Amino acid sequence: MKMFLVNIILALIWGAMSGEMTFASFLLGYIVGYILLLLTQRFTGAESRYFGKVWHILLFIVFFLKEMLVASLRVAYDVLTPTHHNRPGIIKYSVEGMTDIEITLLAKVISLTPGTLTMDVSEDGKWIYIHAMFIDDPDVLRQAIKATIEKRLMEVLR
Amino acid sequence: MFAEWDIVSASTTGVMFLLWTAIVLAMYRLIRGPSLPDRVVALDLIAILMVGVIVIHAITTDQPVFLRAAIVVGLVAYLGTIAFAYFIEKRGRP
Amino acid sequence: MREILIALLLWTGGLFMFIAAIGIVRLPGLYMRMHAATKVGTLGISGLILAAMLDFADMAVTTQGFLVIIFFYLTAPIAAHMISRAAYYSGVKMVAHSVVDELKEARENGEEKKA
Repeated sequence: MKMFLVNIILALIWGAMSGEMTFASFLLGYIVGYILLLLTQRFTGAESRYFGKVWHILLFIVFFLKEMLVASLRVAYDVLTPTHHNRPGIIKYSVEGMTDIEITLLAKVISLTPGTLTMDVSEDGKWIYIHAMFIDDPDVLRQAIKATIEKRLMEVLR
Repeated sequence: MFAEWDIVSASTTGVMFLLWTAIVLAMYRLIRGPSLPDRVVALDLIAILMVGVIVIHAITTDQPVFLRAAIVVGLVAYLGTIAFAYFIEKRGRP
Repeated sequence: MREILIALLLWTGGLFMFIAAIGIVRLPGLYMRMHAATKVGTLGISGLILAAMLDFADMAVTTQGFLVIIFFYLTAPIAAHMISRAAYYSGVKMVAHSVVDELKEARENGEEKKA
């Protein structure tokens, strides 16, 4: 967290030095600051978790956008072709042992990738119910969500 | 005649047409029903489409102020949807 | 070059929103319509806003645009979740060719509240 603040300050200094506070110069300053901090890590003795985390967040955003685009095209294909290929249904998904904020974020990401939609959280907070458009086998879908969305989200959060 | 032609203004005209057609299609679902949640979903989509229309309008008139109107429409639509969902759940029948 | 990118973003955004509208008319059943409306619609609006951000190329517009996109990505799943939950508990049926309904099973076994 401290390293993040230092990085933001470096980006602001970069913007002030280059004389224009645009989004592009801030972004450039952030990237330069990140590389500098990464290179001087040995001398400042800063915690190293920050550098991996930035990378995980970036990867997650790219993964999320890709997933959203691919799945949107799949829904679009089903909408535009005359015959319907959908096999809808509601499946249970275990979220046991996750904190509330993790469940919220997981439910959000599941909802935003088209084809799956979070419907309800059970009262004891152990299950979420997902309405999915293309179910061939409920267990396969559960495995797919666990291996892609949940795994990557946990990399960012933990 | 084509001296003023550029790809952005041509695209905005085309996309504006698409968006209004989409609003008419959503209107059909709004009127047709069959249940109240169906109408709420249609209304939500119409609100998002209106935000799109406002954004396109901001591009064609070159007035970034309209983007603030887009934020307001999005916010009000969201609150309306939440209120409707709460109402449907309380009422207990579709 | 920038113009082409703007036009491309405009058309992808507009087409996705149009597909969302066709989906809301054509797809059977409320829950499936929701898939089209909330998510494909959100993707479409973010395309249009990105196009506006590129067109104005201005710090204020860029930050505002990001704010609008983040706002939509935060609120769309909540709205969809609340509507689908309310619809399910008030008794809107799923389409006839649905494969599985584990929420119904859970409620019959007494794991979830009955409506």
